Amino acid sequence: MTLDSARINYGKLLSRILLYFVVSLICIVILYPYFVMFLTALKSREEIFAPNGTIFPKVWMWENFVEIWKRAPMAQYMLNSILIASGSTAIAMVCGIPAAYALARMKFKGQTAFLGFIIVSQMFAPVVLLIGIYKVMQVLNLTNSLLGLIFINAAFNQAFTIWLLRGTFMSISAEMEQAATIDGCNRVQAMFKILLPVAAPGIVTTLIFIFINAWNEFTVALCLISTDTIKPLTVGINIFNGYNIIEWQYLFAASIFAIVPVVILFMSIEKNLTSGLTAGGVKG
Amino acid sequence: MKKPYTLLNKAEPYLWILPSIILMSIFIIIPIGFVFRMSISQVTKAGLVKGIIGFKNFEKVLSGAKFGMVLKNTVVWTVYVVVLSTVLGFILALLLNNEFKGRKIARAIVVFPWATTLVIQASVWKFIINIDYGSLNTLLKTLGIISSNVNWTPTPEAFFAWEIACGIFVTIPFVCFTALSGLQSIDSSYYEAAIVDGANYWQKLFNITIPLVKPSLTVATVLNIIYVFNSFPIVWTITKGDPANRTDTLVTYLYKLAFYNGKQGEAAAVSVIGFLILLVCASVYMVSTLKKGDE
Repeated sequence: MTLDSARINYGKLLSRILLYFVVSLICIVILYPYFVMFLTALKSREEIFAPNGTIFPKVWMWENFVEIWKRAPMAQYMLNSILIASGSTAIAMVCGIPAAYALARMKFKGQTAFLGFIIVSQMFAPVVLLIGIYKVMQVLNLTNSLLGLIFINAAFNQAFTIWLLRGTFMSISAEMEQAATIDGCNRVQAMFKILLPVAAPGIVTTLIFIFINAWNEFTVALCLISTDTIKPLTVGINIFNGYNIIEWQYLFAASIFAIVPVVILFMSIEKNLTSGLTAGGVKG
Repeated sequence: MKKPYTLLNKAEPYLWILPSIILMSIFIIIPIGFVFRMSISQVTKAGLVKGIIGFKNFEKVLSGAKFGMVLKNTVVWTVYVVVLSTVLGFILALLLNNEFKGRKIARAIVVFPWATTLVIQASVWKFIINIDYGSLNTLLKTLGIISSNVNWTPTPEAFFAWEIACGIFVTIPFVCFTALSGLQSIDSSYYEAAIVDGANYWQKLFNITIPLVKPSLTVATVLNIIYVFNSFPIVWTITKGDPANRTDTLVTYLYKLAFYNGKQGEAAAVSVIGFLILLVCASVYMVSTLKKGDE
């Protein structure tokens, strides 16, 4: 008996050690590109291109993080990214909340058709439609404008917005709203006063997810924006990624500014987001 | 109370979905219409749509010397990235589903590649694998594993393999977290019953865990097929599809056709071909997994 339990404990200990080993290894691999980015951002140009490079900088060039603000309109890029991301999120939510509400709370003809339409719209990435998008933008006089990018990001994030919000709304009982309607509230009031406050965690998750998607968007911005002063960070930082010389230290220093805000935001919603994504899908 | 408003009541749901429909119509549906029309039209270099010319654009694309290779690349790219990231993401989810100290930190770390914009991740990998000053060589030399720089990308195929690796790297978190949320919703009573029956780890994995996580994984896989197939920034940043289209996928190929070579009609035809392939793949996959689920 004692021998047996000792063997089990030994096995458990071994699997524990193995688990820690494998998980740490994976974490190191995942973080490796970020180490590289950070340490390279702190090297001088000469050191990066030196034949016998070292992992850590010999001279820590913290001034690179200051230099990028002088060499590129970083503040402008950052402001543009914020404007694009928050504008897209606002429009996506204003259009998405009522649609998700209708799908979760009402029965109407064409409901399945609308859901199907949302899924098919996902099959077209903006890059595939760029030529068409460009034509629409020409008609609306929105080429090379922040507003155009905002609308496109909002539209291509509609599917996710509706999907996530519909799942959230459906997980909340309609009873309270019905009681409120009997008390004389109309639907809009019932939604604003009762459903939305209860659904706040799901709404915040959706909001942040759309914000991050729009912040990270690259392809459409690359194609539609040609004026330097209205570029978002993802496109703008390529000013350091020239045809002949790549200023890796500046590119990576600028990249860190583009990454840090969204990584922190993302960590805050990760748990709610994934359960929301699968819940919406399984129920759909 | 209700009667005077019947017409309004009937129309009400449509009013609620109207803003969303308008937004998607203008910025998704109309562009789709433009692309389909351009694919069967003659389009000048400046982008002016002349007249309908039937399937000539498709003929030109399909008979193009490069197209077969680009299509093959796209399939290789999609299959490798989706399959490997699904397998690896699922294994990682199984690991993270254990209770252990530091699990929260590990989860936070796995978020990184998901939250980082693709263009930046691709730039870093481009730097890592560089032959002259790349940090992979520096790391391996410091560790004493190699003595002189290794050329990690001797051929276009090697470049493409690195692009696939990068694609897998950035896709794993999404699979991992969807699988993890599926794993955490499994009722522990199933496992308790299985332990009573004397099931071992693998029996539990294949008879309980995998069947129950499958719905979440199916959703993740369908989305992944679509996103990976249409993914542009990784290939664009690392090789731009060069040399001689040997690392091009459909999306980088059509981008170059449209915006570098002024062949918008042909680019539109490539878009339509890509959409049709995707539609067939996604529906076949969805139908087959849904059927299996019913059995």
